[in-house]
Amino acid sequence: MIRARGVRKSFGSAIVLDGIDLDVESGEVVSILGSSGSGKSTLIRCMNGLEKLDAGSITIDDFDVSRPKDLAEARKRSATVFQLFNLYPHMTAVQNITLAPIQVLKRSRAEAEAAARTLLDSVGLGARADAYPAQLSGGQRQRVGICRALAMNPRYLLLDEITSALDPEMTAEVLNILAQLAKNGTTMVFVTHEIEFARTISSRIVFLDKGQLVVDLPTEEFFAADGGMARPRISQFLSKMRKD
Amino acid sequence: MPFDVTILAPHVPFLLKGALLTAEACALALVGSLIIGLLVAALRTSSSPLLSRAAFVYVDLFRNIPFIVQLFFFFYGLPEIGIYVDAFTTGVIALSIAGGAFSSDVIRSGILAIDTGIIEAAEVSGLSKPVIFRKIVMPIALRTSIRPLGSVFINLVLTSSILSTITLNELTGSAKIVASDTFRPFEVYAVLLIAYASLTYLVSLAIGVLHRRLNRDRMPEVA
Repeated sequence: MIRARGVRKSFGSAIVLDGIDLDVESGEVVSILGSSGSGKSTLIRCMNGLEKLDAGSITIDDFDVSRPKDLAEARKRSATVFQLFNLYPHMTAVQNITLAPIQVLKRSRAEAEAAARTLLDSVGLGARADAYPAQLSGGQRQRVGICRALAMNPRYLLLDEITSALDPEMTAEVLNILAQLAKNGTTMVFVTHEIEFARTISSRIVFLDKGQLVVDLPTEEFFAADGGMARPRISQFLSKMRKD
Repeated sequence: MPFDVTILAPHVPFLLKGALLTAEACALALVGSLIIGLLVAALRTSSSPLLSRAAFVYVDLFRNIPFIVQLFFFFYGLPEIGIYVDAFTTGVIALSIAGGAFSSDVIRSGILAIDTGIIEAAEVSGLSKPVIFRKIVMPIALRTSIRPLGSVFINLVLTSSILSTITLNELTGSAKIVASDTFRPFEVYAVLLIAYASLTYLVSLAIGVLHRRLNRDRMPEVA
């Protein structure tokens, strides 16, 4: 499981995470909602070790991401998909996906490539396996990004606003894949603005506001009139997001 | 005296030998300055303040001293303290060191231009720092810096003419000898102009090919 305890993080004088406690068990899909600047992305970046914690701790299967020795193991167990895809521009889709399996997991090239092509097939990109990122649409790039993460056979998938840079049509392409993954029992931490989608795939919803965890509720309860919606900050946020 | 290149006919083998020496020295120095450039660019962008400072001092030092002074120091200065190196080797080393300073600056700006998100994606996937540099940082930096690197390399070819001042009879050195033998400096140096122009043209052609190859994913937009 992923366990966050008392996580604090500031950038200069701005407090971004102000004491976050959160558990994500295997098999759960936890969506993190909140307005821009609420600390959602920073929380993910603390989980994968891209940001150092000022205080508190995050462990992935008991490996502490703040300890350099443990971080490597924690990163083997988790994989991240990014808002802006962050594909390696000089490599084809297949090369993007196979780099880490070959270098980190020490797979043979043939084995890694076969796995990569299977993954690309499963997201409908089998025919684009040898295309470079510049030759793919945004939705296709993000699907490659998801394959790149899945190729590491992660126990936990960290998704950082992965549809925010896509138009509605491409967003649908990508969300369909996530729905499939959720059905297969992949553990996911899903930072998003796609409220309705979060509602359909999440087992739990976490709402952050100004760096604090406001509620952490099962999805049904979160959207219930007497549950999360009873809190003015949340109903305000949801009605605003639905208008947009 | 009318312009008559045929007068140089007997000296062609000698001039060709000089041209070959220039080509050899330049090819070696080109590789040398690329390796030094990559290494120093890596040090300059490293997180260690000491290493990046040391790399900065190297670049600043060798960019701010005339090449002929560096060359004289290596060839005429070092033997005073017991270090003897032949003229060809000295020339190649001096060109590599000077070219490396300029190359590293070009490559460094290529490294700094890389989207940090790409490096972060590599880090979280568990790749080690050396692998990230070799497989991701270096190839992406070279894609963007290959054209300006071409200018550095062309300059290297032009600068190699200064090696004639340390007894090396490369192209310019041989031409000087032929000019004083034949008393026909006009013809000799006219040939030299064309010879250098051809050499550098070859370098820019090669750079063009490399540029297209490294950027093949976004052709034809950046051609």
